[in-house]
Amino acid sequence: MTEIAPAHTIGGYVPMVDGPDKVSGRAKYTADFIAPGMLAGRIYRSPHAHAEIIAVDVSEAVKLPGVLAVVTGADCDKPFGVLPIARNEYPLARGKVRYKGEPVAAVAAIDEATADKAIRLIKMKVRELPAYFKAAEALAPDAAQLHERKPGNIERDVLFELGNVAEGFTSAHLVREATYNCAEVCQNQMEMHAAIADYDAVRDRLTVHASTQVPYYVHLMLAQVIGLDMSRIRVVKPFVGGGFGCRTECLNVELIAALLARRIGGTVRLAINREDTFITHRGRPETDIRLKIGLTKTGRITAVECECTQRGGAHSGYGVVTILYSGSMLYAIYDLNNVKYIGKRVLTNTPPCGAFRGHGTVDVRFAFESLLDQMAAEMGLDPLAVRRANLLEAPTFTDNDLMVNSYGLPECIDWVEQKSGWKSRKGRLGKGKGLGFACSHYISGASKPVNWTGEPHATVKLKLDFDGSIVVLTGAAEIGQGSSTVLVQTVAEVMGLDISRVRIVSGDSEVVPKDNGSYSSRVTFLVGNAAIDAASKLKALMVAAAARKLDAAPGDIECLGETYRAGAQDKGLTFEEVVAEALKDDGTITVTGNYSTIPESHGGKKYRGAAIGGTMGYSYSAQVVEVTVDEETGAVTVDKVWVAHDCGKALNRLTVEGQVQGSVWMGMGQAMSEEVGYHDGLLLTANMLDYRVPTIQDSPPIEVGIIESNDPHGPFGAKEAGEGSLAAFLPALTNAIADATGLRFNTLPVTPDRVFDAIDKRGRTSKTRNGGA
Amino acid sequence: MEALCEFQVLSPTSLAGVLEARTAHPQAQLLGGGTDLVVNIRRGIVAPAVLIDMTGVAELRAIRADAQGLEIGASVRLAEVAQHPGVVAHYPVVAEAAASIAGPTHRNMGTVGGNLCLDTRCIFYNQSQWWRSANNHCLKTTGEICHVAPKSRGVCFATFSGDLAPALMTLDAEVDIQHAAGKRTLPLRDLYIGHARHDGSGQGDGKHYLALQPGEFIAAVRVTSTPGLRSGYDKIRIRRSIEYPVAGVAVALRRVGDTLAHLRVAVTGTNPRPVLLEGTEALCGGALDARVFKGLDELVRDQIMSMKTTFTPGHYRRRVAGVLARRLVQRLFAG
Repeated sequence: MTEIAPAHTIGGYVPMVDGPDKVSGRAKYTADFIAPGMLAGRIYRSPHAHAEIIAVDVSEAVKLPGVLAVVTGADCDKPFGVLPIARNEYPLARGKVRYKGEPVAAVAAIDEATADKAIRLIKMKVRELPAYFKAAEALAPDAAQLHERKPGNIERDVLFELGNVAEGFTSAHLVREATYNCAEVCQNQMEMHAAIADYDAVRDRLTVHASTQVPYYVHLMLAQVIGLDMSRIRVVKPFVGGGFGCRTECLNVELIAALLARRIGGTVRLAINREDTFITHRGRPETDIRLKIGLTKTGRITAVECECTQRGGAHSGYGVVTILYSGSMLYAIYDLNNVKYIGKRVLTNTPPCGAFRGHGTVDVRFAFESLLDQMAAEMGLDPLAVRRANLLEAPTFTDNDLMVNSYGLPECIDWVEQKSGWKSRKGRLGKGKGLGFACSHYISGASKPVNWTGEPHATVKLKLDFDGSIVVLTGAAEIGQGSSTVLVQTVAEVMGLDISRVRIVSGDSEVVPKDNGSYSSRVTFLVGNAAIDAASKLKALMVAAAARKLDAAPGDIECLGETYRAGAQDKGLTFEEVVAEALKDDGTITVTGNYSTIPESHGGKKYRGAAIGGTMGYSYSAQVVEVTVDEETGAVTVDKVWVAHDCGKALNRLTVEGQVQGSVWMGMGQAMSEEVGYHDGLLLTANMLDYRVPTIQDSPPIEVGIIESNDPHGPFGAKEAGEGSLAAFLPALTNAIADATGLRFNTLPVTPDRVFDAIDKRGRTSKTRNGGA
Repeated sequence: MEALCEFQVLSPTSLAGVLEARTAHPQAQLLGGGTDLVVNIRRGIVAPAVLIDMTGVAELRAIRADAQGLEIGASVRLAEVAQHPGVVAHYPVVAEAAASIAGPTHRNMGTVGGNLCLDTRCIFYNQSQWWRSANNHCLKTTGEICHVAPKSRGVCFATFSGDLAPALMTLDAEVDIQHAAGKRTLPLRDLYIGHARHDGSGQGDGKHYLALQPGEFIAAVRVTSTPGLRSGYDKIRIRRSIEYPVAGVAVALRRVGDTLAHLRVAVTGTNPRPVLLEGTEALCGGALDARVFKGLDELVRDQIMSMKTTFTPGHYRRRVAGVLARRLVQRLFAG
């Protein structure tokens, strides 16, 4: 006889629940929701980088047959922006344009060709202003101001010193300082931005389908900008083809589509192309870093001074948060005592940057791990030993009040050390070959959301009905990362059921409870805990129903998933029988599960903005990268990557491995080939050919080690898995190149021409030296 | 996506049908796999009213490759060239070049004729209508200046990036050029006229880069086998697939005993034309020694002129072309 047992998937390899829709092509993305009578939307973009708008002449466009609406900045005077403290962007420019490509006007026409034609009939008269394409230019004392209330073109400066940095450096055995430059990068997710807005003039209701990670924020912004009561708006997030952070705020695309739809009282589809998706941007800013570290003889860090300048682009976006993360996340990976951080987020006449995977942490981590490696080499210390000399001991609070409860970094380091054969192979690979090591970390959701409402941080509803199926209702946005799968697994696990009994509806404001969305790796931890809460409540109702039916005390009921029984001898009740009993009095059951972060996780108050960085749990990553450098062509080949990621507990090993590999791979793009280039402020690389995302041909074997530190607050012990392993790749790569060539690359990406130039320069220098001797 | 302009596609199945279609529509553009042209149409760079699809033309789809010679019709797909046993065995430089073009899907679609006539490329040219207009256009389209070299006095520096041309040029290939009245044959190297001379001595540049007259098109490319010839192709890319060459180099040489008896080197991805290096015969006749490598490097430095037409700096493309050339020569000479 087979033993009756609850079903388990947590910790297993579980294919994504929405996978079949995607691989069969059944999945519908925003641009696929073609409706009868739908109009084509198109945006007229500024050809000027910085200019005062004298006139936007749309008269010819309006006259074109087939054009139903043209809107300009005059039609909307409500600014938008993800941070309540920094809303300075209009869906269509008003008064000034601040970057080449900024939306100025938009057209709705019977088809794309007509809309295109209309766009070309729009004329713009301006008075040009000085434009700044580099942070340093915008910071110059006599620079013209981009925004009225932002003197010096500084979006936000941050300054804090915790501990005594001067003393820290004095007590150091070795102090080194270096500068770093990381190029601007874009997410370049598969699906280009799209929105379909449908305005029902009779009932005064607006429905927007949007390719977003944050349907709730889109909802808020639509209400504010369009001027409709929130109850009259419905936001639907269908399948989304990736986001990586560029869709963690409402974009002008959704707002412009809605403005057009409202104007005509109909449906407008605004599906922008790849170039415009690049221009909409919200990528990682170009970042300049000056970093100074002091080390004792044994590699203990005595002090850190970090100056970080970000070219933020023309509008605020997430800028304030990004520049704060860059400082606060110096902490929570190593035990640091004396830290000074000087951050500057600069407004420039380039498209607005945003929250790219690893938000705010990546470029600073690159600098930090590079300098540690360089100093370790100079002191003849093993780079791993230097990290080991600076480990935290969890549970603890960092100097900037970040709560660290679980800390698998030591095990991550051990794993990559062993798997890569570090001890026996480092320094012995021969000419042109090298091994590099680095670490990184990330948050599992911000403990305080940007829109603080006082509600629970996450809410999940479950519906159980006559058919015995459980439906998870959540606003958590599945964007390809696996959030739906993890929530289905979570509910099934608590109930002891196979996941086939559980369905999920996510991302339709008409049906699902509000959720802040998919960003900062918050879903598994925060929504996962809410799902556990909901499922536990549902299970309690089922147990109570079983108890009634079996005439037993609820405490005596054993839930085995498909069977509920009152003792091992009892034949028990089937799941369906218990459902029938549970529904008897009130019919369909819905339960609500909630989760709120604990105040201790909210970060500190030691400096303005110190809450940024606070989370319920940090993930950790260690990486070893093996490279071969062709010293004659400068080509770098990544031969192998070993990556260990502490995700607390792998709820789904398949998706954890996928996310970790994806992080490594995305880090590889930023480190080696991706770079947003401009020519006089025009985005030069706005296509898949010149913006060089690695291909599968460039992808090395990536061996993933899952480290499980079992976070006391995490759902089943889990923490994030989707971002923390990105940052470590960058320094691990350049450290490996340094091992192979003796050359340090502090400028990203490390393209073959840069390697070639550095080797060439060294050759010439050594010749000169020899010649001069 | 950008809306494509309205156009009509004609799909003749015979050479006669092509000629008829061309007579009826003199402004029509020829369409091979469309991997380059369709992108340019979508970007509003060209807006042909009629496209003549060449891929179904029976006479242009043959491929013959044996120890005697090689003949490839203009409509043969690149993937077919790359995999053809005769090409792989006897003309490795051609197979290697074909196999390295873009990505697998491009090779399945792209044709030999299309690759030989590939439009020259430039970071200021391969951009959208909006972009080019915001940048005041350029010489290659309707503009007044070349943004690569603003003082170029009317010379366009857009770069030729086809991979097959240099490979075939090292084999001394010739092309059959078809026109309404018949056929003419031209050495392949003379097809490319993008010398981009400042002194006005040559009419060709990045804009006018082919020696084709109106109404002419390439029907086939042909090589007569040279016994004992060794050949190979290599290129530098920033990523390993779906890329145009940052620099591509083809080499064909003959070794007699320890003597370098014959050497031809051609480079792509750098100039407005694929460059068959002049002066390589002077490097022959002796051992493969430092003199040869120094000489080769000098020829590359003198004749390769890579400008700022790609995101990757020009000086790198030129220097790395020299490295690839030397390595190929070494590899082939060693056997």
